[in-house]
Amino acid sequence: MSETAGALREPWPDLRLQREGVGLGMWIFLASEVLFFAALFCGFAVYRSFNVEAFRIAGAHTEIVYGSINTVLLLTSSLTMTVALRAATAELRNLTLYCLAGTAALGVAFIICKGLEYHEDLKQHLFPGPNFPLSPPATQMFWGFYWIMTGIHAVHLTGGIFVVLVVFTLFKRRIIPVQGSTMEGVAIYWHFVDSVWLVLYPLLYLAGRP
Amino acid sequence: MSQSEAGDRRNSARVWRLWKGPGLTWLALVALFAVSLGSAYLPLGVGNLAINLLIAAIMIALLVTFLMDLKNARAIIRIVAAAGLFWAILMFALTFNDYLSRSY
Repeated sequence: MSETAGALREPWPDLRLQREGVGLGMWIFLASEVLFFAALFCGFAVYRSFNVEAFRIAGAHTEIVYGSINTVLLLTSSLTMTVALRAATAELRNLTLYCLAGTAALGVAFIICKGLEYHEDLKQHLFPGPNFPLSPPATQMFWGFYWIMTGIHAVHLTGGIFVVLVVFTLFKRRIIPVQGSTMEGVAIYWHFVDSVWLVLYPLLYLAGRP
Repeated sequence: MSQSEAGDRRNSARVWRLWKGPGLTWLALVALFAVSLGSAYLPLGVGNLAINLLIAAIMIALLVTFLMDLKNARAIIRIVAAAGLFWAILMFALTFNDYLSRSY
């Protein structure tokens, strides 16, 4: 049996339809994820509308260097993930593996950067509660959102890295063929996590800079 | 030119084509990121957040259209993607309809 035939699963008549089926399933899941993150953004927007100045003061204390480095890392990881998907469809096995490894490495670099950033934040006691250094008190609301939103995003990204590494291993050991539908779901999920960060970046890092 | 050399050339042309489109999108995204970061330091008042969110929306549109390949997707996939956005907009509209119309 050829690798392409091995990639085809019941009940799909061809690989193109199978990939579209996986893509559709992932998009339905992501529509629910959009609402999950939208609820957080909506809460942020409501509290910000009542505390504009406090959110500006609080926003000036986020680590813009780490935030900016992480934005470029994620954008680049989306590039390598897209090429991995297209290479898999074109049955270019080595390029798929290199790009998947690059994507995982960029994701890990993001998490390391995020850890360094959290360390800086905690050194300045920027965690809501006693000894919070900023005033007025509503600045704590901004930082509450900061920890929840960036934390949930980091959990999503960590899940993504884990899945990319598992898929990389399965491809590398030839347990599943690269040209199947696996890459479709992985790539769409990865790009979604990237696009959530593109909203977090202006809200948490750019606000309050001038 | 030997057969293997011709094969190598064909392969590198394929690889180049794979990188070209996503690479151009990545360049546009990084350029928009730079504009966003630079504009954050201009004293534009409420305009800063508006510009930065507009740039973020353009960046997400580029990412979804070209990297997530929604431009070549079937109508059913586009409808599902639009549904997520539609319900999110509804959530924002109904929430702010309440909070912005309160008298306190």
